[in-house]
Parts: sequence; C-alpha cells; structure tokens
Amino acid sequence: MAASPRPAAPDTKRVRLSPRAGRTLWLATLLVPPTVFFLVFEVIPMISALIYSFYRWEGIGRVGFAGFDNFRRVLFEQPFQGWTINAFWNNVIVFLTLMVVQNGLALFLAILLGGNPRGTRFYQVVFFLPVTLAFVLVGFQWKLFLNPIIGLVNQMLGAVGLGALAQPWLGQESTALFSIIFVNAWRWLGFPTIVFLAAIRSIPQDYFEAARLDGANEWHVARHVTWPLIAPAVTIIVILTFIGSFNWFDLPYVMAGLDGPPGRSTDVLALYFYRTAFGETAGALQDFGRGSALAVLLFLFVLVVAITWTRILRRREVELT
Amino acid sequence: MRWRRLSTVTLIQLLLIGNTVVILYPMMMMGLSAFKSTREIFRNPFGLPEVWSLANFVRVWEQTNFPLYFRNSVIVTAGSVALILVLGVMASYALARYEFRGNELLYLFFLAGIMMPLKLAVIPLFIQLRAMGLTNTHLGLMCIYAAEGLPAAVFILTGFLRTLPRDLENAARIDGASEFQILWSIMLPLVRPALVIVGIYNLVPVWNDFFFPLVFVQRESLKTLPLGLTVFMGQYATDWAVLYAGLTIAALPVIVLYVFLSRQFIAGLTAGAVKG
Amino acid sequence: MRKRFGVFGLVLACALLMGFAVAQVTLNFWSWRTEDVAAYRELIDQFEAENPDIKVEFQAFEFATYATVQMTALLAGEGPDIVHVRAYGAFEAIAAPGFLMALDDKVPALADFPPLALDGNRLRRDGLVYAVPFASQTLVIYYNVDIFEELGLALPETWDEFLDTAEQIKAAGYVPIANGTATSSMNEVLKGVFAPSFYGPDFFDDIMTGEATFEDPRYVGALEKLLELAPYLAPQHQGVDYPTSQNLFVNELAAMFVSGSWDIANLRLQNPDLNFGVMAPPVPEAGQTPLVSWFLDGGFAVNADTKHLEEAVTFVNYLASREFGQLFTDLLANISPIPGVVSTDPLLAKVAELNQNSTPYIMLVGFRYQEPSGSVLVQERLASMLAGTITPAQVAKEVTEGIATYFEPFQNR
Repeated sequence: MAASPRPAAPDTKRVRLSPRAGRTLWLATLLVPPTVFFLVFEVIPMISALIYSFYRWEGIGRVGFAGFDNFRRVLFEQPFQGWTINAFWNNVIVFLTLMVVQNGLALFLAILLGGNPRGTRFYQVVFFLPVTLAFVLVGFQWKLFLNPIIGLVNQMLGAVGLGALAQPWLGQESTALFSIIFVNAWRWLGFPTIVFLAAIRSIPQDYFEAARLDGANEWHVARHVTWPLIAPAVTIIVILTFIGSFNWFDLPYVMAGLDGPPGRSTDVLALYFYRTAFGETAGALQDFGRGSALAVLLFLFVLVVAITWTRILRRREVELT
Repeated sequence: MRWRRLSTVTLIQLLLIGNTVVILYPMMMMGLSAFKSTREIFRNPFGLPEVWSLANFVRVWEQTNFPLYFRNSVIVTAGSVALILVLGVMASYALARYEFRGNELLYLFFLAGIMMPLKLAVIPLFIQLRAMGLTNTHLGLMCIYAAEGLPAAVFILTGFLRTLPRDLENAARIDGASEFQILWSIMLPLVRPALVIVGIYNLVPVWNDFFFPLVFVQRESLKTLPLGLTVFMGQYATDWAVLYAGLTIAALPVIVLYVFLSRQFIAGLTAGAVKG
Repeated sequence: MRKRFGVFGLVLACALLMGFAVAQVTLNFWSWRTEDVAAYRELIDQFEAENPDIKVEFQAFEFATYATVQMTALLAGEGPDIVHVRAYGAFEAIAAPGFLMALDDKVPALADFPPLALDGNRLRRDGLVYAVPFASQTLVIYYNVDIFEELGLALPETWDEFLDTAEQIKAAGYVPIANGTATSSMNEVLKGVFAPSFYGPDFFDDIMTGEATFEDPRYVGALEKLLELAPYLAPQHQGVDYPTSQNLFVNELAAMFVSGSWDIANLRLQNPDLNFGVMAPPVPEAGQTPLVSWFLDGGFAVNADTKHLEEAVTFVNYLASREFGQLFTDLLANISPIPGVVSTDPLLAKVAELNQNSTPYIMLVGFRYQEPSGSVLVQERLASMLAGTITPAQVAKEVTEGIATYFEPFQNR
C-alpha cells in the first residue's frame, strides 16, 4: 500500500521521527489494520469463491476446468439467459421505484422534520422503528395484510366501497413486485430519513434565515438552499440504494419465494444467484459454477456503475458547494 | 397570512401523523400476534387476541436457552459493531483527510466490497476460519460481520468526514495537537451522527441474522438468538405465533438502544451545526 | 428438560468410564427436520439404551439453509457422522462427489427393502445404495369429514362426481379446495395428485425411455383436467400460499386440501379436533383404480470420512431396523419404507392402501438431476396456466423444450 511517496530515511540519532516519517507511520497505523482485516475475511474468501465460476461442478464436487462456459450459459443459453435478463430488469425496477417512493418520501419527511415541527423527537423515533425489525417478521406480517382472503388491505378497500380494486397482490405479475417494494419502503424509510435529517440539521440556520429574508418561499428554500447543501447525504443514499437494490434478497425471499413467483415477476439477481448456487429447496439443483458466474457478473456490473456514479455525484457535490 | 401559516402547520402535522399511523399500526398487529396461537393468527389476524395468553413467550423461554442466546447475541453484535466502527473510522479518516498516492485506489478497493455477497464465499470462508481456529467461536462470527459491514462503514464515514472544513485540523495542528488528538477530540465528535448511522446500519442485520451462525456455530453454548429461534421454522409449517413472540422480544433492545442513541444523535447534530 | 438429559448423560458417561472403562463414542447426526426433534430424541434414546457405549447427538437445522450448512461442512471435512439426506437429484449432488459411504454390504437389512424406495438413494452411476430410506410420501386429498357429513356428500369417485361435489361445497359457502397457487412447489403437488389417474401408469416409463414427451396427449389431457379445477380453488388463488391453504383447512373454512402425506402430523397439531380423512384422487371412469404419485423423502447416510465407522454402521443398522421403523411411524405419522412396519393410524393405513397403485412423482423422480429441472420448469408455468394466461399445450411444450436441452431421449424427436 502506498501510504507515502518516499518513506523518509530513519534518523537514529533523534528519538522524534521526522514529520514525514511520522505522517507515514500514522497513516500506516490507520490503514494497515482495516486493509489486512478486509483482505483476510472478505477479499481472499471472495476470490476463492469467484474462481468457482471457471469450473464445472457435479453436485457439490468440482470436476474440471470449464473456462468461460458458465458465463456463456447464464448469458447466452436458454432458459438461463431469459432468467438473467428478467432478474436484471426487475432489479432496475426495484432501484428506480425505491428512489422515487422510499427516498423521495424520506427526503420530504426529513425536510418537514428539519423545520422542527411539534413532536419532532417523537416522529424521529417512530419513523425509524420498522428498521429495527427482523425481515422474517416484516415479510410475514405484510403477507397477512396483503393476503387475498384474510388480508386487511382488501377488506379495507371493500369497506370504503372500492371492493372492485381488491387484488391477490402478491399473486399476480402486475402487482407482486411493487407490493414487495412498498413493504421494503415501509421498513427502510426511517434510514434515509435520518441520513437526510442529519445533513439538513448540519446546515447553518442563518442560510435559511437569509433566504427567507430575501422572500424565498418554502419550495425555493428547499430547492435552492437545502438540496444543494445535502448533496453528500444524497450521494450516500443513492449509492446505498443502488447497491441495496442489486443485492435485494431477504424480503422477496420471505414474501414471494426463492423462485420469484408468480412467473418470475419478483425474481431478482441475488435470489437467482442464491437459488442457482444453493437452491435445492426450490426444486432446482445447485450449480456453483453458474451461481458464481452470476455473482461475478453482478459484482462487475454494480462495481462499474457504482464507481462511475460516485465520481459523477462527487463532482456535482463540489460544484454545488 | 397568519391563517395560512396555521394551515401549513396543520398540514405538516397531518402528514406526519398519517405516516406515524401507517408505521405504528402494522407494528401493533405484530405485538398482538405474539399473544395468539398460529391458528388464531390466520383466523383472526388483525383483531385483539381472544385470550391474552403468554403461552408463546413461555414456549420461547422453555424450548430455547433464551437468556444464554440473548447474551451471545449481545456479545456478537456489540463486538461486530465495535470492530466495524474502529476499523471503519481508521480507514475512512485516512482516506478522507489525507492525500497520498493510492488513496483513490484504496477507497475503491473498500467500495468494491459493498456489493460482494459474502454468502457466496461461505465455503472458502469456512475452510479459512477453521484453519484459524475460529469456527464455533464468537470471534469468528464478529470477524465475518465486521468484514461484511466494513465497506459500507468506510463509504458512509468517508462521505461525512470529507465535508468537514480544513481549517479545523489546521488550527489544531498549529496549536500543537497530535494527529491522534485531532482525530479523537476534534473530528470524531463532529461526525457522531455518521457513527450512529453506521452503527445502526450494521447492528440491525447482524442482530437478526441466522445464516452465518447456522453455518459456523454448532455448539449450544455459543448459539445466538435468531439461530435459536430457527427451531420454530419448520419444513412444512412454521410456528409463527412463537416466532412473533421471540422476534418481538428480540426487537425491543434494539428499539431501546435507538431511542437512547437518537438523543446522542440530536446532541451531535447541534454540536455539528454550531461548529459548521 | 434438556438440562436433565444432559446431567443424566454426564452421570451415565462417568459411570461408564469408571465402571466399564469403555470409551464412549459420540456420533453427530444432522437433519433438517426441526419439527421432529422431540421424536428423534426418543428414537435415539431407544438406541442408546441398547448401545450404552454410543451416544448420538441430533442437530436439526432450518430447512431452507440445511443444504448449505451440510454442503459447507462436508466440503471442509467437518461433516457429521450421520447425514440426513434428501433423495434423487439432491442426494446425488452429495453422493456423486464421494462424500457418502455405500451401505449395501454394511446394512444387511437393505436387501429386504422395496427396490423403488432404495432407488431414491441409489447412485445411478454405480448402482449402489448410499442411504437408508427413512420415509416415503404420497400425494393425497384431505377432506373434512364433518363438512362432508353436514352437506350430506359422499366421497366422489369419478372426475365428474368430484366436480359436482366441489360445486355443491362452493354453493354451501365453503371453499371446495383450500389450495392456492402462490407457493410454486404446491402447484406441482396439485398436478401430482390429479394428473396420474388421467395419464396412466405407463406414462412414466414412456417418458423416461423417450417413447413419449410431455407433449403427449395423455399429459396435455391431464393438464386440461387440472384447469377445470381452477374455479374450485381458494378465492383469488393466485395470492394464496401454502400456509394460508393449510390454515383454511385447519380452521374448517375449506372442505378439501391437496397436499402430501407429510401434512398429517401438522394438521393434527394445528387443530387436534379436526375430523379429517384421506381421499383417493378421482378417476376418469367409474370402476377404475386411482393412481397416486409416490416418492422417497430421503434417507440416513454415513459420512465417508467418519472417524467412528464401526459405531456409525451400528447406528444406521438400527435406523434400518423394524424396531426403529415402527416407533418412527408411531411417533411421526409418516410412512416408513422399512418392510414389516404396520401403522395402526387409520389415515396412514389409507395412504398405505393407496400406495398399492402408485406411480413415481414424475418430475422429482425423473427430472431433478440436471438444470433446468422438470420441477423448476413446470411449477411456475402451472401457476400461469391456472391463472388462465397460458394453455395446457403451451405448458407441455415449454416443459418438453426445457428438458430436451439435456435429456437425450427427447432430442431425437
């Protein structure tokens, strides 16, 4: 690791290190432990696993080198190709919907709470409560709400005379994915809200006052003062949502199933990868080769997008501030 | 004018109260289900329990080693989050506040880790931890969770640390503060909200996870709470009532902790606002 | 409870060490059957009483993650001595790479097992058996005796009678068939119950030899019959999952429930007062014999790397004994494939009677060895078919094409 261009020659006569050597030592102290730790417990095992994608597997036994065959199969051979593309687009839908519904609402709530209305402290706690709950519990509870027979959502629609809108929400291709995304937003809303709120609270009050004195209305304040100044928080949330969307697993797994029913409309890449690598329970057979190939592709895609995006957003932050 | 202002306030409150109801109502239902039987959950999912029975809680208590599992979960979660925070602060502080060759590359190295599904690496990880003598230990679990959480921690903390003004540390340097003092007494207090965010972001999934304990821990005395509760998850039928009871109890400490931290959070924010 | 056993075990161990100077061996035994922990403890107690120098530690893992846990441990050389394995493709995934031990010459009792049961744990490559079969499952229709009596309904025998019965149940305000289609695997179960009596006993062999594909009129015809059931499934069936179906039946809101023999114990547990019976699937014409789908659930295997070979073999021999099978059936209300085991349970007796005329559960037994597996292909397509978005002929075509990507007998056609 390159902590400093040239480590200064050690000076044996003095006990004090030269400033440059001191800086190098300090940086090394900060950087070496996390880097080594990360290498040992994440990078090395991960690389070993990614190498699986270049082998042919028979059950859980590795039987021979396969070159890029596993990649070819998941990208170009039916039905795997169809599943890969379908899962990919579902991930895109998840990301876009979460950006609008979950993060949009979170930003709105954070701006409201940023104005310190009565009960801010209470709301701040309440909005965060679902984040603390286990996926299993959240998923099951919402399955009960959305259940077509005993579920409350359909009953309430019936009660207000909208019984015709009652649906088997999780059972049809047009509504299943969006229902699960909604539940995700319900559970996770509190997280982007507090991140935005933290950013809004760190904006000096005089900025707002100055803008209001200039006669700006609340919309203008939000658009021209708050929005540019919370750019770093927006970067964090956009990137975390992107990564979260493309690693989306627990909720569709609990609410729909490992095979993304109905008709693979809730199938996403993480489910597809997990099912392929470990998925005996879905009536499938596990194949580490194809499973790892999917993971490699997913990883490369997310990495490239996330890095490009981080850079663009960072540049925007610099321009805005 | 005054009237308009009042109506804005009312509107804001209505929106906030509306959202509160949408959040609290399902949570209340979860709480109620803990007092029902699985059969009743399906027959009467949203009403009050026919009989307020503590049977589910009793079963959790009797069929699992609840106090032991709870203690283990606290140890593993606290250890993991502490590791993440310490390592995360070290890496992100160096990356955010110092310029050196390879900075960007190292940052991307950590960032790349966020999107690696560590579940995929469960086999090599197992082989490696066994060679290090870390299977069937709490330390092993902590290392896995810390490695999994570290990239996001570095990402979030770097983002926050970068926004702090340069003058702060320059002034301190001129005053003769050591690098460690600058980090510890000037920078860290300012990013307290970010530390809370990172802590919570990692604490919840670690606290609720049963996948890694299921693979890495077989010894009864080391089992965590979510792992212990999997005995109620069956192949053909899951004992939802008991799971509701168990998971509701499991959520309580996290909620209490957040209520406590949210105070810290506000304190940290005000401090940040004053200095910034 | 457990603590007392622990102390008891400790005292016993000490006594053994001092009194007989016999080193006690502990066997690790892993399973996915979290529901059966108490029963296995009892089964193991019986073994330990007869073999005081062997102690067996039973661990049950959450079902969905069990395969991962088992595989990780085996690959790392840390597997248990005794492994509870599934059958067919999932079994071969572990047996083919050599993680299990062939048992043909180690467990003499296997010679008397029905060959079909052994086939589920037989490696196709060498023809050897690697696990002692533990239970067989039959796909059946459960019916609520009280509702049938209340409505004055007789058990339907033919398909037309069945539809007529369902219609009457629906008219009386009950759900005729509790099943929905939201849980994919249950769609295959639904087909597994009704289709065989229509496609007949020879179809399985015709498929396996390539005489017929799934586009055969017998199969398409059976799927068309299945489609006629759609109006009698749970309301808005697309959104009704397996646990909801179970509970519709358990709470006596539905008169029938299509599932496997594995559900008997669970239904009783959920509602001890539920008065229910097992019904044969309807046949096309009066006088024909119903044909049911049958499969082996899995078996008990020995880790090829076990350090306690002798003790492990002693234990699996116990798991293959009639003594074990009888207690197993009595405790768990499951059909044991061990010869000579009889069940006094009336429902199990009925299942055993239906087993007299059975056919292999087609996708699991025949097409779960390669990807895309027959189950993967058919499960999701059936849901679409029952929702009315694709036709039975399309299902048959897609399934055939998917399997033809690796199944040679289909490729020449």
